[in-house]
Amino acid sequence: MEQGAHEIGVHKLAHFAGLTFNIDTLYMTWISMAIVIAIAFIATRGLKLVPGGWQNFLELIFTALLDQIDSSMGSKGRRLAPLIITLFMFLLVANWLGLIPGFTSPTSDLNTTLGLALVVIVLVHILSIINKGPKAYIKHYFQPFVPFVIINLIEELAKPITLAFRLMGNIFAGEVLIIILGILVPMWIPIPNIVWLAFSVFVGVVQAFIFTMLSMSYLANSINDNH
Amino acid sequence: MVDLNATLIAQIINFIILVVILTWVAYKPLMKALADRQARIADSLETAEREKTAAEELKKEYQEQLAQARTQAQAIVEKATKLAEQTKDEILQEARAEHARLLKEAQQEISRERERALTQLRAEVVSLSIAAAGKVIGHNIDDSVNAALVTDFINKLDEQKLVI
Repeated sequence: MEQGAHEIGVHKLAHFAGLTFNIDTLYMTWISMAIVIAIAFIATRGLKLVPGGWQNFLELIFTALLDQIDSSMGSKGRRLAPLIITLFMFLLVANWLGLIPGFTSPTSDLNTTLGLALVVIVLVHILSIINKGPKAYIKHYFQPFVPFVIINLIEELAKPITLAFRLMGNIFAGEVLIIILGILVPMWIPIPNIVWLAFSVFVGVVQAFIFTMLSMSYLANSINDNH
Repeated sequence: MVDLNATLIAQIINFIILVVILTWVAYKPLMKALADRQARIADSLETAEREKTAAEELKKEYQEQLAQARTQAQAIVEKATKLAEQTKDEILQEARAEHARLLKEAQQEISRERERALTQLRAEVVSLSIAAAGKVIGHNIDDSVNAALVTDFINKLDEQKLVI
């Protein structure tokens, strides 16, 4: 895949057992996973009482997210902490991966983002049913009046779709602009590219954060009884 | 661009695998490390607090001891001063007594000496008077009569005007 010369948004396809896969997205996903696991592995070997280096970095992310989880999800939130922390770290690495020439973000493929959104939303519904009981779960679609069922259903459907498209749109747009800037601006004027890359780094963090925060608040609603 | 296919399923599985691996590799050990550190810090703080309390108690004790020592020192000094005062009084009193005794002895000695001198003088006067009277009369009358006469005379003198 040559940077700046490939067709934007077209994936290499692989066929396996009668199913079609975007093999480039899968490769990038695996690279992201490998990076996340490598960081986690390096950071947690020889854990010290006084943290340093990678352990410090990982603890920073962990404690920041755990604080968020504790404040927004309450005492039950700790059980979902591994999911949320993994989500954030994977999204961060995945969003930034596309900024390296020759790589694309797995999150610029709707399959990835919708997959993640579905994991979260399915979990939200399962936890709602477990926590509130099936009766209350179905009943809450007809609150406050029966006709509201339409609005409630749209809301529930909108959650995964907005989650998925927001992330994918931002990251995809970032990559598109990187390629377009590469074509439009001559190489000896590097300022626009640098500025846009820096902004993309920022966007990568922000989008990972937004996706994680929204997932957290959806999950918080499902595990807390006061809704 | 927004074509969905089996990648979706693969990504869900990928993500679940990642969650499992990360929970196992990072989450659990890191949580344990954090809990350990929290326990350690709490322990250290508690120890520090305890030691601080102990130190304060020790300080209080020392201060009490110091105050006590000061009071004792004060008492000792006072006692010594009192003792010195007392000794001084005693010595003075003794000196006065001694002085009085010496004075009295001296006076007694003087009066004794005077008495003796007086007696001697009287005897002298008696014998001189007899001698003189003997010369005047021309012959000696009986010595014993003589002595009685003169002694009587002198005694009478004594009573009337002889004062030495």
